[in-house]
Amino acid sequence: MNWVLDFYNYRIVEQYLDRFAEGLENTLVAAALSLIAAVVLGTLLALCRMSSRALLWRPVAGYVAFILATPLLVQIYLIYYGLPILVPATARWSELALGIIALSLHNAAYMSEIVRGGIASVPRGQIEGGKAVGMSYPQRLRYIVLPQAFANTLPPLLGQTAVLIKDTSLLSIIAVFDFLSAGLLLNSERVRPNESFLTIAAGYLAIYVVMLALSSVVKRWLAGPAWNAGA
Amino acid sequence: MQHYLDVFIAILPFLWTGFVQTFWVSLVAIAAGSVLGFLIGVVRSQRIPFFHRLFGLYIHILRGTPFLVQLYVFYFVLPNTGIEALQWSSEMAAFVSLSVYTSSYVAEIIMAAIDAVPKGQWEAATALGFKRLSILALVVLPQALKLAVPPMSGVYVNIIKNTAILSVIGISELTRQGEISIMRFPRDVLFIYGVIALVYFVYCYPVLRFTRWAERKVGGTRVVNLD
Repeated sequence: MNWVLDFYNYRIVEQYLDRFAEGLENTLVAAALSLIAAVVLGTLLALCRMSSRALLWRPVAGYVAFILATPLLVQIYLIYYGLPILVPATARWSELALGIIALSLHNAAYMSEIVRGGIASVPRGQIEGGKAVGMSYPQRLRYIVLPQAFANTLPPLLGQTAVLIKDTSLLSIIAVFDFLSAGLLLNSERVRPNESFLTIAAGYLAIYVVMLALSSVVKRWLAGPAWNAGA
Repeated sequence: MQHYLDVFIAILPFLWTGFVQTFWVSLVAIAAGSVLGFLIGVVRSQRIPFFHRLFGLYIHILRGTPFLVQLYVFYFVLPNTGIEALQWSSEMAAFVSLSVYTSSYVAEIIMAAIDAVPKGQWEAATALGFKRLSILALVVLPQALKLAVPPMSGVYVNIIKNTAILSVIGISELTRQGEISIMRFPRDVLFIYGVIALVYFVYCYPVLRFTRWAERKVGGTRVVNLD
């Protein structure tokens, strides 16, 4: 058993268990809040992007292109250092809050592309049918387009959520005490890289496995009973 | 305005060194990662029982953990194993981890592209008496590689963006040069990071546009979901 302790001393990890739990909590809070904000904001962006008014879709297209073509880390720095300069009220906000804002703004662009793809996949005839029976734009959106778009959106949305959870690890660079930071703390106090980073990697892998299971359940659920009976 | 111009001229040499470093790291990682990923993808497409699963695990592990964590593993954990060959510099750790990360995405794309080639192509070539390797090399891969172009360029954008993360282990690429510039001009944080973002944009956006163009050209079939 000695070689196991040499390579990976789980007793050290045990001592840091509450730090890991604290970090995991911050990671999950950051992921959950920015996911909700990103989906809401992303849906609005997608609707603007699909508008025929240039004043609406052009700025959104530019925003999405900017987010897609620059690194998340630079975007986090821009928000973390830049937002307090632009909006002085945010200067006293915590790193976690600013990090969540950065992640939300980043993922909103990706979500808007996903939602746009989902909406575009709804056949044109469906919308025309809605018009023909006299539905207004909000009604068509609420009863015809969004329910169908939702089913097409959910699988890529879950994929993006898995990416989002991984991306929260970048918040450790702006001093948010997330799951990765707990490992960095262990390494800086005990100089045991195996115990710190392999534990962290295993933790993220566990989250990934949960996300994989969730997405396969959702896929089966969306396909419906008729499809699954045949498969 | 004059102030911003002065700052810009002052940080220009830093930006240039940073960009050159980013450019080289991304290029080398793309090349090495693509070769490694291509081999893994081809092996996986052949459904050889043990290897298919083994490389499947490899891909899952690389996709299931953040790149930052992988970078720390390559930078802190591997040199700690006591193996002589793994006592590498931070440049080497950065380059190897980025290449390995790239290979997981490339492998998935190559396998999906090979799977997307109709089965009849295999059967026809078999009927003509070709061996498995020559079918792969002469019939299937030429068709599959065309399908792989759009998602591959999407991955390249991803790799370029991920080079920014290498700044945390002290690689003097663009983002790191920005941090250094900010030590000189601490009041212009927003401006300097804005310029840095712009440089990345100029590098990535053409590749992104190429991805869209290639997607339409190949027929709009997205073989694999990016990210």
